[in-house]
Amino acid sequence: MSVQPEIVLDRVTCSFNGVTAVENLSLIVERGEIVALVGRTGAGKSTAINVILGALAPSSGHALVAGCDPFREFRALRGKLAISFQTDRLLPWRTTLENVALGLQIGGTPRTQALERARTWLARVKMTGAEEKYPHELSGGMRQRVSLARALAVDPEIVLLDESFSQLDQVTSAELRRDFRALVHDLGKTCLFITHRIEDAIEMADRVVVLAAPAHVVLELRPADHPDPRALVDRIAAAMLGDAISSRQE
Amino acid sequence: MVSSPSAELGVGAVDAPARGARGRGQRADAIAGVVVIVAIVAAIQIASFFVPAYIMPAPLVILRALWNELTHDTGDVVATLLRLFAAVLASLVVGSALGVVMLGATWLRPYIRVLLVVVTGVPALSWMLIAVFWFRNTEERIFFILFLIILPFYAINVYDGLQALPKELLEMVESFRPRPLQTFRYLLFPHLIPYVILTTKSAIGYAIRMVVFAELIGAAVGIGAKMAVAESAFEMDDILAWTVLLVAFNLILQALIGAIERRLLHWRGEVAVR
Repeated sequence: MSVQPEIVLDRVTCSFNGVTAVENLSLIVERGEIVALVGRTGAGKSTAINVILGALAPSSGHALVAGCDPFREFRALRGKLAISFQTDRLLPWRTTLENVALGLQIGGTPRTQALERARTWLARVKMTGAEEKYPHELSGGMRQRVSLARALAVDPEIVLLDESFSQLDQVTSAELRRDFRALVHDLGKTCLFITHRIEDAIEMADRVVVLAAPAHVVLELRPADHPDPRALVDRIAAAMLGDAISSRQE
Repeated sequence: MVSSPSAELGVGAVDAPARGARGRGQRADAIAGVVVIVAIVAAIQIASFFVPAYIMPAPLVILRALWNELTHDTGDVVATLLRLFAAVLASLVVGSALGVVMLGATWLRPYIRVLLVVVTGVPALSWMLIAVFWFRNTEERIFFILFLIILPFYAINVYDGLQALPKELLEMVESFRPRPLQTFRYLLFPHLIPYVILTTKSAIGYAIRMVVFAELIGAAVGIGAKMAVAESAFEMDDILAWTVLLVAFNLILQALIGAIERRLLHWRGEVAVR
């Protein structure tokens, strides 16, 4: 019996106000896979993520996430899908521990249990000792760790990352990427992340999908199949640049 | 991991100057308060030497009248405070709910907004006179006047507060797929607390003035009613004593709201400007 893919985008198009952000995008993410969506700014990566998240309905085509339509069956995906955004988006009135517990509480976990699980997750992202601190007392890297813990604490099947490491300095970002990848692999989660940094995609993903505006796939490859990372970067960059050249020619 | 992120910080370094600045600010406020009060008392004392007592009684006479009011007219003081409390609480609840409705029911929003603008534009005196015709019961009259005067403050500020809610936070909470009540509980309610406190702070002084005014016109019990009696008997010491008491109430209530604010909003970092 074949395992159903976790994320399916089938010829999805998204247009608003006369602008097409996603055009005929088809993408399949298998269970336990880490996939990077790479593309230049304005390529429609975030719109694609919003369709998967259920925040946007496609103008045409179909989206299926864990077997559900993420927009029409919005609540059915509660606890199955979580996202960490580009900025940490922590609630300023909640302590670090309470922020991590938020998704659990919304999911119906009693407060005491939610806080206990949040504590475990804070330890996993190496934030022990900061439980009672408020977001304004944490550094950018620490806040992003808390945001990742908040997403993972609900034990989702699928984790989405929307440029989650892009606002951090190189060292902190590399540390977080390494830790996150190890965590996601250990837990067997499915992860789809978007980034404009080719190196991040190659380092973290099992599969890299390059998008061009309006979001459609122009290249798809597995970093493990390419022993020369330099050549890989060049190939992905060329695919992204090809998009730029073609749009200039138009 | 190069270093544990929990070890990085510098929080104390950021907060220490802010706390120092706050302490200095509080000291300066206290000194200024004492200086101003002493200056007012001195001015009253000097004036009392040159004019008759029905124009300006000496501070000691005012103090005696104040003591007399506090020991003999407790019922009037309590009545005024209860009226104030009931009207502010009702305005807070109904006004805040109206603010939330304005955000949720977009089709209703322009109607409520126009209604609030109209209500705000009606002079307090008009409400008082209208209330005299509309209500027989004194308590109903006073409640009606205060409620209509304070309610728009809450409705408008809560609506503005909801508009100022960062969209990113709403998206984040919605990514966990909450029920509408959970969105209210975990996001909207805590976000609105500073707005409600700020509104209460600015409304309370105004409400004190209005409750006394309303009592002056249409009540037999309360500080306003007592002030009307003192006015007809040319008892300036009583009028000034009640005034001192009202100012003290305002200060005490502001301090109480300040304490509630510190308790509820302790998560906010101190801000120091160089």
